[in-house]
Amino acid sequence: MVVSRRVFTAGLAAGVAAPALIGRAGAQGATVKIGMVVPVTGAAAESGSFAQTGARIALEQVNKAGGVLGKPLELVTEDDQTTNPGAVLAFSKLASQPDIVAFLGSIRSTQMHAMAPEMMKIGKPVGFGGTDPGLTKLGNPWLFRFRPNDSYSGKVIAQYGAQTLGKKKWAIVHSTDAFGTAGAKALTEALPDNGSTLALDQGYANQSQDFTPVVLAVRQSGAEILGTYFTFETDLGIFARQLRQLGVTVPWVGSPSIVNLSALKLAGPALFNTFGVADYAEDSSDASKTFAKAYREVRKVAPDNQSSWTYDAVTVLAMAMNKAGTTEPGKVRDAMLTIRGHKGAEGEYNFDRNGDGLHGYNIVKNEKGDIKFDKRIDFTPQLG
Amino acid sequence: MDLALQLLFTGIGIGSVYALVALGFVLIFRATNVVNFAQGEFSMVAAFLMIVFSVKLELPYWLAFLISLGGMALLGALFNLAVYYPLRHRTYLPVIISTIGASIFIANTVLAIHGPEPEVMSGWFETPGFLVGPVYLDSQYLLIIAVTAALVALQYWFFEHTLLGKKLQATSQDKEMAALLGIPVAAMIMITFVYSAVIGGIAGILVAPVLFVSISMGSTIALKAFAATIIGGFGDVTGAIIGGLALGVIETFGAAYISVPYKDGFAFLVLVLFLVFRPQGIFGERVAEKA
Amino acid sequence: MSTTIAAAAPVRPQLRWGVAGYAVLVVAAIAVAIMAPKTGYVLNISLQATTYAVAVLGLTVVLGLCGQINLAQAAFFGLGAYAVGIGQTSWGLNFWVCLVLGMGLAALFGAVLGASTLRLGGHYLAMVTISFQQILTLVLINWIPVTRGPDGVPSIPRPAMFTDGSSYLALCIAVLAFAGYLVWRLRDTRLGRAMRAVRDNELAAGVAGIDVYRTKVTAFAISSILGGLGGGLFAGGFAYVSPDQFSFAESIVFLTMTLLGGVSSPIGAAIGTGLLILIPEWLRFLKSVPGLYLAIYGAAVVLIVLFMPDGIWGFVRGHLDRFKRAAPIITSTAALQLAGGGAGTETVLEVRRLSKHFGGLKAVDEVDFVVRRGGVHALIGPNGSGKTTTLNVLSGLYRATGGKIFLDGRDVTGLPPHARTVAGLGRTFQNIRLWKSMTALENVTVGAERPGSSVSDADAVLARARAALAFVGLEARADEVVAGFSYGHQRAVEIARALAGDPALLLLDEPGAGLNSSEKVELRDLLRRISARGLTIMIIDHDMTLVTEVAQHITVLNFGRRIADGTAADVLAHPDVVAAYLGAPDAAA
Repeated sequence: MVVSRRVFTAGLAAGVAAPALIGRAGAQGATVKIGMVVPVTGAAAESGSFAQTGARIALEQVNKAGGVLGKPLELVTEDDQTTNPGAVLAFSKLASQPDIVAFLGSIRSTQMHAMAPEMMKIGKPVGFGGTDPGLTKLGNPWLFRFRPNDSYSGKVIAQYGAQTLGKKKWAIVHSTDAFGTAGAKALTEALPDNGSTLALDQGYANQSQDFTPVVLAVRQSGAEILGTYFTFETDLGIFARQLRQLGVTVPWVGSPSIVNLSALKLAGPALFNTFGVADYAEDSSDASKTFAKAYREVRKVAPDNQSSWTYDAVTVLAMAMNKAGTTEPGKVRDAMLTIRGHKGAEGEYNFDRNGDGLHGYNIVKNEKGDIKFDKRIDFTPQLG
Repeated sequence: MDLALQLLFTGIGIGSVYALVALGFVLIFRATNVVNFAQGEFSMVAAFLMIVFSVKLELPYWLAFLISLGGMALLGALFNLAVYYPLRHRTYLPVIISTIGASIFIANTVLAIHGPEPEVMSGWFETPGFLVGPVYLDSQYLLIIAVTAALVALQYWFFEHTLLGKKLQATSQDKEMAALLGIPVAAMIMITFVYSAVIGGIAGILVAPVLFVSISMGSTIALKAFAATIIGGFGDVTGAIIGGLALGVIETFGAAYISVPYKDGFAFLVLVLFLVFRPQGIFGERVAEKA
Repeated sequence: MSTTIAAAAPVRPQLRWGVAGYAVLVVAAIAVAIMAPKTGYVLNISLQATTYAVAVLGLTVVLGLCGQINLAQAAFFGLGAYAVGIGQTSWGLNFWVCLVLGMGLAALFGAVLGASTLRLGGHYLAMVTISFQQILTLVLINWIPVTRGPDGVPSIPRPAMFTDGSSYLALCIAVLAFAGYLVWRLRDTRLGRAMRAVRDNELAAGVAGIDVYRTKVTAFAISSILGGLGGGLFAGGFAYVSPDQFSFAESIVFLTMTLLGGVSSPIGAAIGTGLLILIPEWLRFLKSVPGLYLAIYGAAVVLIVLFMPDGIWGFVRGHLDRFKRAAPIITSTAALQLAGGGAGTETVLEVRRLSKHFGGLKAVDEVDFVVRRGGVHALIGPNGSGKTTTLNVLSGLYRATGGKIFLDGRDVTGLPPHARTVAGLGRTFQNIRLWKSMTALENVTVGAERPGSSVSDADAVLARARAALAFVGLEARADEVVAGFSYGHQRAVEIARALAGDPALLLLDEPGAGLNSSEKVELRDLLRRISARGLTIMIIDHDMTLVTEVAQHITVLNFGRRIADGTAADVLAHPDVVAAYLGAPDAAA
């Protein structure tokens, strides 16, 4: 070792002091700032980078169109490390900057739960993507959801399976995390309304290396159709391959992750001919096509829901501020609640009293690796 | 019955993966009395090297494989010099923390260089697998099982029948004695780290087509491989293999017949039972201190 | 694992301002917490740091003081957090009740976990704690009716009077300060010394009368309680808990915090915790490249371990110690009192048909002898004759295969080592087993604290320890760490440690081994002085000069059997003994 102990100590001291001195710079008041909590490291780092791209595309468009209240919009991001404590710290770091007027929360429901008390405290509008239905029922007036919640995905999957595919005996495979259990619960509850029955409800722990017991359980259950809620694409990829290897060929309708880019790349042919509910589908509307075009110019690949919701959230928050004529939180909130029929990349936004903006899902089909839009199923919301 | 056979094959397949990674643990543990918490990252790095050379640069498979293993040898050597060697006279605790720090460093350096997206690597065979009666045999798992068996045989031959192997063994048993006998202990430890990194690398490259290549692939397997090492008795190569296989089979059957969500728990439950009732592992390692 | 974790400073620092200064500091910190304006970010960081630090203090006890590894501190932290979360929101219990329940739950699990596995050490303990950690995480995720599963527990209230962030932070600081004070004081209590003795050398601790197993379980339980306390406060602070906050990765973070700051002191715990929470936050400005700042963080951990072996506080204290005053030497006026087990019967030790077999090897084979009160009894024999094995069976390190041992007429054959010490046995080891990181006085004090000894109150124990050190001529070096002592002085400290316990019988295992000739003369005089005070000595040694000079009675072993027993002169003239020592062919059969 060439570094002596003294040099190292000095270096450590400098390293400890320096960051406190840097980062104080930066002009105040010249821009309107939106804070964004996003995974840069950890398990969800990849989707985090998609989310940032989506938000930045919206940012550019907003600024090209004149910005917010005559000032350019600016995005301030903090890494949540894909953990709950990380998310809380990232959010409170953003919240401590008084000039940030609105926030983008997480696409992960547990992280939203973790941050919710802080969001309540700060009292500024937060757009988020977590799909646990409970999040908009916390009595927290500042939460606005930019994806349809899981009660809709369950209903759509059950309805599509029974009415379009004509299969009524279900096997449900889901992650035991918050997203997976909530989704499976919603799907299970929607089955009776569609005259369907549950043959198997099988949870699994995230980051499994092998799904043989799960696949065999599906095979043994005699189910006619498979519904899944997978959180991580690597898990989905391994499951899909083993499902095909062990000869399970029943129709499969999955949660949005089944049409994610990474899932398509990892699982390849194993996902051919599967169906997915997708909050974002490129061919579902003109707005979605426009977003896809803009996204492809930046990333060279097709967008998915990781980026579409942040795109919509930034667009809608800017729109609400312009509409309210101020960045004062209460007024912006009121403006959000009056938004009707805004055509975003994810669908048509009509915010209900709870803060849910979307009320339906697209059904898409994987045709040899290409995602083809099939139909959209919407439900009538209770608008306040 | 068909079900049980299928589960058995899968259990042995995934167990072989644990065993391969466990092998790296055991080698380093025997030589240094330290658990290397960064062992899983060796597998991850090798898989990413393979992606770079084989998938991105499109070199022939064998060439990419050799270059990747060369890279692993280098990593093992650097790891020894930077993380273990300066601490060799300290107790196991600082070394453990040091390997943990190194593990965080390696994983996030790969993340910084490559980015977070997982990668696909095709298997060594064109046919992904075939049916034998009712049982589907995945060809990559067959390869893993074969390589594990071959490595165990090679290892046995190496340690029992070559001079270098015997020197390594002497070093792992008693460093002071080995030094008195004129064995260059520092060099032996260096060789052990290089060898462990290469073994871990082979494991990573072999499992990549099955589990995909991602930043977190190493740490998830490594924890299971730990458990395997304990079940087999720390410090015993054969034990690690048996422990890995046993763990794979137990958790696959446990998941199928008891509970899938608690699958990861079976490994650790078995481990605790072993530690309480048979702390010396299947093959035994002395735990008592002499007066 | 009998090695030292951190070598302490040569002399224990004397705090000039002591408790008063500490109290002023704490009050100031609380005042800042309440009055200084701060953003939610600063508040959250401070809350996280203080609550984590409480849990890290637990590791200071179990790892720093007792030398046992615990890779499940996040699990105990989680138990406390979930108790406060679920207890309040599901069962409507009071915050304080939940906090205590959580600590109790953590203590229970800690003690059970410790009790089932602490007989194993090092890596095995590491593995069991990892397993506990993993299983607890799975239970938190999957036992949905109770834990609410992966959704976690939201809207956890804070106690009345502490509902706003500043006052709650003040509460956490107060708790941390109090816990830190207790841990700091624990070091120099009887329990703390016992823990350090166990850490430095388990065998010697047992033989000095410490119940090693119970000490370890206690350390583990204390650590778990502090983990649960920290977790409970954390839950109140952040109002939300979920399983992934208490994962194995977090346990690693806790351990790293402990080692980074320095295991030997609660101050190290505070430094390590603060730094490990702050470093990633400071490095956030590097966020444009994913992974870069965590890579730097990982590298920093390695570098600190490499360059600051005793942690940051150990490093700082090493520099501070240069400015410290040497403690005044306290000379003891009291002479060492040795009761020698009292008047009692004439026989101190009786061994009947004692056997110890290792597999097929009969290391000790039906040996009988009697040690009479007063005087020196020697046990001799050629190499491999079974002397040391006999001694180890006598002191309980080995379990006898057959036969009986009576100490002062009491059957001690089945007792563990520490219980035999309680019954009146004292011993030293052939290869000296002192607690290397402790001072001479601390070593001897542990001996004086022998349960069953005549003195019990702290002052009397300390006086007795000083008297014992004075007896062997080392009172001037009482406050020095024994690692720096010469071989002869270490031997003397070991004898003083045994004497301080006022045993009925003192077993000396080759006390002359490794001593030079002048040290041997000192040893001979020491043994004579001990004997003159009425304490019975049983000695094993190769050095026939020493044996003949001090022993009145000799028992001779060869190949595990007693071949002679009687007064020194008779035995040395015995033909079998001569043959055994000179190696006559027929005697070896």
